[in-house]
Amino acid sequence: MTEKKPSTGVSRRKFMALAGGAAGFAAMAAMGISAGRVECSVNLPEIDPEKVTTAESETDVLVVGSGIAGLFAAVKGHDAGARVLMVSKGRLGASGQTPFAKGIFAYDPAREKLSLDAFVDTVSRSAMGTNNPVFTRQMAEHSLERVKELKAWGFFDSPLYFDAFSRPIKARGIAVMERIMITHLIKENGRIAGAAGFSIDEATVHIFKAKSVVLCSGAGGFKPNGFPICDLTHDGTVMAYRIGAKVTGKEWNDGHPGQAVNAAACYDGWHGMFDRKPGRTGVEVHHDLGVEENYQAYMTGNPLAGGLPGQSRGKRIAGGPYRPAEFVENARRPGPPPGGGPDSGGGPPPGMAGGSPVGGSSAGMAIHKSEGLVPINDKGASTIPGLYAAGDALGSYMAGAIYTQIGSSLAGSAVQGGIAAEAAAAYAKGQATPTIPKSKRLQVQEEILAPLKRERGYGPAWVTQTLQGIMIPNFILYIKKEPLLTAALAYVEELRDHHMPMLRAADLHELRLAHETANMIVNAEMKLRASIMRKESRCSHYRLDYPEPDTQNWNAWINIYKGRDGRMKLEKQLFKNWPS
Amino acid sequence: MTIERIDGCIGCGTCVKTCPTDVIRRDPKTGKAVIMYPADCQICHLCRMYCPVGAITISPEKSIPVVVSWG
Repeated sequence: MTEKKPSTGVSRRKFMALAGGAAGFAAMAAMGISAGRVECSVNLPEIDPEKVTTAESETDVLVVGSGIAGLFAAVKGHDAGARVLMVSKGRLGASGQTPFAKGIFAYDPAREKLSLDAFVDTVSRSAMGTNNPVFTRQMAEHSLERVKELKAWGFFDSPLYFDAFSRPIKARGIAVMERIMITHLIKENGRIAGAAGFSIDEATVHIFKAKSVVLCSGAGGFKPNGFPICDLTHDGTVMAYRIGAKVTGKEWNDGHPGQAVNAAACYDGWHGMFDRKPGRTGVEVHHDLGVEENYQAYMTGNPLAGGLPGQSRGKRIAGGPYRPAEFVENARRPGPPPGGGPDSGGGPPPGMAGGSPVGGSSAGMAIHKSEGLVPINDKGASTIPGLYAAGDALGSYMAGAIYTQIGSSLAGSAVQGGIAAEAAAAYAKGQATPTIPKSKRLQVQEEILAPLKRERGYGPAWVTQTLQGIMIPNFILYIKKEPLLTAALAYVEELRDHHMPMLRAADLHELRLAHETANMIVNAEMKLRASIMRKESRCSHYRLDYPEPDTQNWNAWINIYKGRDGRMKLEKQLFKNWPS
Repeated sequence: MTIERIDGCIGCGTCVKTCPTDVIRRDPKTGKAVIMYPADCQICHLCRMYCPVGAITISPEKSIPVVVSWG
């Protein structure tokens, strides 16, 4: 149910013109009609922050995000008997990394030579123990069922996913609210009570009362050039961290290279892949997307030789990241795109089609599902009662800290989304509708609108550019050593302490950028602190000063949480263990 | 620059909703799509692919803002 409070007086004529649309928008969502039909607005360049309206919605299960994890969370949560509301910063099937993933893994026991046990063991060997075998197995076990459902919805019939995703959502009358950025999770009495955010189309703060929340908000990066993740800034991870959730996996990297020519052009760098319909992949375990290319570039300089698999790629310097012997034979293969695989045909991923590759196209992102909220069980429950996560928002270590199975990213998100929402629906059955005190609402609203109220401060684009300059260089993010990590941390702490509190926004677009920038700063601090702590090299984490794996001390994940003093704390959690 | 032109827009608003980074908005007078925040374009082409009339032309080139001491 969505209720909209009447405007308390609006100073801008433009906003008055839009208010009717806004109310209609909320009403349509309440009726279960996708917001896709609602007209999008122009931006509001001048907003009186004192006169922003608030809208309130209430649900059993709030799904944050509208990629493939969100899709299955909404569908399975609904089918488990819960009232579900999906809220997205973008549009169903067209935001996050889902629109660009063109391969989905399905483990079909009738077709595969490798048993399920053997598959899980092979992934664990490639991942050098960094994977959580419970999630590796879960992905494979449920993948075929999810793929069959996707097929029935028409997913494999078009390169664009909006229509296929809309079918099960419309059939069930699930409410979807799009172009709303969630910035806050709300916790009351130690449990999740809802979330809050703002519309990027109209001057409205949205408060969501929810018995449970499933974060399907993806991972993120530093708005890097050459990878389609500029809308992903670890929003879910950071808002969960702020209310006390544990976060993991921040020392890992995704080693996708980009293109030296037109480095920002994601579409061109992927050589037509975005135009293709998705396809299915089968068992093929790799040890990909680590930082071997980054090491080569660090030692010998750019340009590196590019090229298709099998082509000469120039002389390679010995040393660098350790690769398990069993997986050496595919060392020269190109890293797969997220979800992309051989069944989808077409061109190779960025940096692999000839010409000179450059590093860091996905800077700020780790291997899929190796970063995000720490799960306390196989249902994706977080350390906060009522808060669940799935897909790239969950640090499930499904694939480990290296890219192991092509197409498993998309499959894993689908599987985890469904499982988390079913658990959230069951949890919600035992909960009364939460109440959010007025003081909390006011506090959250103040925090959301603060950048709009600042007449002086720093523009989010400039702060982001500065952060990129600190974090993206190869010698900071990928080829690591203590003095430079410590130096970068000093810069990031400056942005955190001095610039984050002074981010300003001139309009709703910039308000989104301001919150995204703040989230990226927190992610940068997490990445640097975890990278300093992990004094070994393994999978996609490489330290020049500790170049070997250290299985005696480091068969452990690093969890990050906010201490009572508000500072970032880090702890080890042994592999194959759940948080105590 | 990123999105170069929008020619023959029918004002359906699909590209506005589809853009992951909120680059395109509608002109308040004409209701048609305008390139509003090109600096945030990730050149992913989703807008072009979803456009029902093929109105959007995109270039692979992107210039970045010059570096300044504060901004």
